Amino acid sequence: MHILKTLRVKPWLPAELEPQTNLPSALLNKEKSASTALQFFLAVITVVFLLFTITFLQRTQSFDFQALSGEPWLPFTSANILWQNSAYLLLASISIILAKKFAEQQSLYAIIISLTATTLFTLLFISGQVQVWQQLNQSGFYITTNPANSYYFLLTGVHALHIVGGVLVFMRCIWLFYFNLSYQQLASRLKLCARYWHYLFFIWLFLFCLLTSDANTFKTIALICGF
Amino acid sequence: MTKMENVAIADQVDHSSHPSTFMGKYIWSQDHKVIAIQYSITAIAVGLVALVLSGMMRLQLGFPNEFSFIDPSSYLQFVTMHGMIMVIYLLTALLLGGFGNYLIPLMIGARDMVFPYLNMLSYWTYLLSVTVLISSFFVSGGPTGAGWTLYPPQAILSGTPGADAGILLMLLSLAIFIVAFTMGGLNYVTTILQARTNGMTLMRMPLTLWGIFVATILGLLAFPALLVSAIMMIFDKVIGTSFFMPAILSLGETLDHSGGSPILFQHLFWFFGHPEVYIVALPAFGMVSDVISIHARKNIFGYRMMVWAIIAIGGLSFVVWAHHMYVSGMNPYFGFFFATTTLIIAIPTALKVYNWLLTLWRGNIHLTVPMLFAIGFIFTFTHGGLTGLMLGNVVIDLPLSDTFFVVAHFHMVMGVSPIMVLFAAIYHWFPLLTGRFLNNKLGKFHFWGTFLGTYAIYLPMHYLGFLGVPRRYYAMGDTDFIPESAQALNAGITVSAIIVGLVQVVFIINVIWSTFKGKKSGRNPWQATSLEWQTAQFPPGHGNWGKKIPQVHRWAYDYSVPNVKDDFIPQNVAPKDVEYLADEKNNNNPREK
Repeated sequence: MHILKTLRVKPWLPAELEPQTNLPSALLNKEKSASTALQFFLAVITVVFLLFTITFLQRTQSFDFQALSGEPWLPFTSANILWQNSAYLLLASISIILAKKFAEQQSLYAIIISLTATTLFTLLFISGQVQVWQQLNQSGFYITTNPANSYYFLLTGVHALHIVGGVLVFMRCIWLFYFNLSYQQLASRLKLCARYWHYLFFIWLFLFCLLTSDANTFKTIALICGF
Repeated sequence: MTKMENVAIADQVDHSSHPSTFMGKYIWSQDHKVIAIQYSITAIAVGLVALVLSGMMRLQLGFPNEFSFIDPSSYLQFVTMHGMIMVIYLLTALLLGGFGNYLIPLMIGARDMVFPYLNMLSYWTYLLSVTVLISSFFVSGGPTGAGWTLYPPQAILSGTPGADAGILLMLLSLAIFIVAFTMGGLNYVTTILQARTNGMTLMRMPLTLWGIFVATILGLLAFPALLVSAIMMIFDKVIGTSFFMPAILSLGETLDHSGGSPILFQHLFWFFGHPEVYIVALPAFGMVSDVISIHARKNIFGYRMMVWAIIAIGGLSFVVWAHHMYVSGMNPYFGFFFATTTLIIAIPTALKVYNWLLTLWRGNIHLTVPMLFAIGFIFTFTHGGLTGLMLGNVVIDLPLSDTFFVVAHFHMVMGVSPIMVLFAAIYHWFPLLTGRFLNNKLGKFHFWGTFLGTYAIYLPMHYLGFLGVPRRYYAMGDTDFIPESAQALNAGITVSAIIVGLVQVVFIINVIWSTFKGKKSGRNPWQATSLEWQTAQFPPGHGNWGKKIPQVHRWAYDYSVPNVKDDFIPQNVAPKDVEYLADEKNNNNPREK
């Protein structure tokens, strides 16, 4: 393990006095710095959703919790619209990879098409999520009527906010490209955007599974987790 | 693409970014040093507000019902705002936003943070969070009086001071603060990992940086718990969800809430709250290590162990949180687990204390003002740490819970101790900022007034706790088991607190006076080895390093190396450039072989 090796070093010994000139960390690589920062940011996001999930699982065991699927009258027993939304986010995730690839190939029209596709599919995902909220409200599944509803609105809302944040960064990237970014710089930025999109796609899949589980699944999870 | 990717930091300076206008230099600055000063001034200003609040609390406790402007509601508001401001908006912001910002690039040999613009945004977002918090003093109902832990259900129920706008502004302010911290924190860790100069390996970094680095990671992973709980509580308050709110009768009225868990909030809060102790403590540990080493002219004892201890404390700090909740009705086995982890975390912490003492042992101790504060810290931290061990045990905690013993404990360990280090650090690094010393006589007066004064406050407070005097009470009323003498003790504590407060005025006068009229320090006045003192321009200018960034050849603790002319060798001095004592050059110094 590299980190353990690092921590075993004895910096006061004569051997350690040699100037160590070939440290990759001594070179400022902007892409690498951004990549490191993104990794930490994804860790922060993970903790946020992990904590929400733990509180959710604990709440599933309370007397007033009513799962959102499992019975014919529950909204997510058939979750077609959520599948559709998932497909939008997946397509956004794929098109951003294509955009990065086209940026590397310096193919301007292909870049424009793929960036437009990314924007479009992402906006479709967000509007699809808003549509689900409206349907829930129209069916009487208000945010306050049941903890499962509350968590659905809360978790999908927080997830959507993260997507919106990503869109803003993505738009800035396009803006900069329009003015002065090189193709290579665009590709390196899109690589990071793609990583963010993929991650949020996986978080969405996790939330999808979690929020549309039925009561028996929650009982099993609680049993395993010891709630 | 040019060769940009493989060019050292030194050659990546964008000269067009050097600000020339007043606004560019001092307001919308992206220079880490200016941002550090902005953070520090804001944090100290808001900290002074919290200090005044504590003074008003003490007036009520020492001389009950003598002051008409302090009623039960305002007393609770003072308690709450004092606690939250001190822990979050002063200590966290000053240690990481202030010292972190100033020292990280200078100590690792970088020109600035890797994301200067994000760094600037971080400060302005922090300022926004402070503004939102302070605005709660001016809204109807005033700031929240829920206690700094903001426990539901009472935090958001009518009857609690500030239960309308006050609590919402507090939660909103916390959420904004966390956004600011995340921006800053990502910058700190990335800068330390990616922008170190040539030769600056992780194990050559001064312990100050290790403390800041690990504390920042703790903050990035712990603050989300506070964010999550703040968001959920805002939902409970504004929308009427029941995340934390159980079925409840409030002022004779049945509320719409049902099934929520207040204990869940406590778990979330303390999952943040305990690491927060170390978010404050670890940078302080690092800075005090460097101050002790420099002013004792001796290498830090057990550097590797110190690093390991910082990492171990950081890791363990995530598995001790429920020791704040022994009285919440938890499963006894759960309590046993957390008591055990609490005792375990004491091991690396005690190791650090031993290492500070062993660094002092037979050192060439210079009793400068920074050193006095550093030694004072060892006393106050050991004191607070030992009472922490007591409270970490369930059987001792239960009777002492919610008494003044707890107040005394955490003020010693988390209030006085980090502040002793902050003062040590300010006296130590002040010449780096200004090129001048803080006045020595005023500094010594400040130290003794603060050190003895805080003991005069908190030692008797432990005794009040043993007597069973509860915390957060506006007035004792007729309480048979508390003797009359407790009130005399409380009055004495208040007098001491006022004196300590006045002593801080001397410090502020010293800072202002010395900034303009203080004795000039010259370069590297403490003869320190770490990079921040080795800049081409002193005090360091924009870009820090002139034309070329330094090359690091050694760790940060080469003090009193045998047979070497000076008693310190800066990190950027190559082995061939070390000057030996005249007739000793061929005497083969084993360190430089």
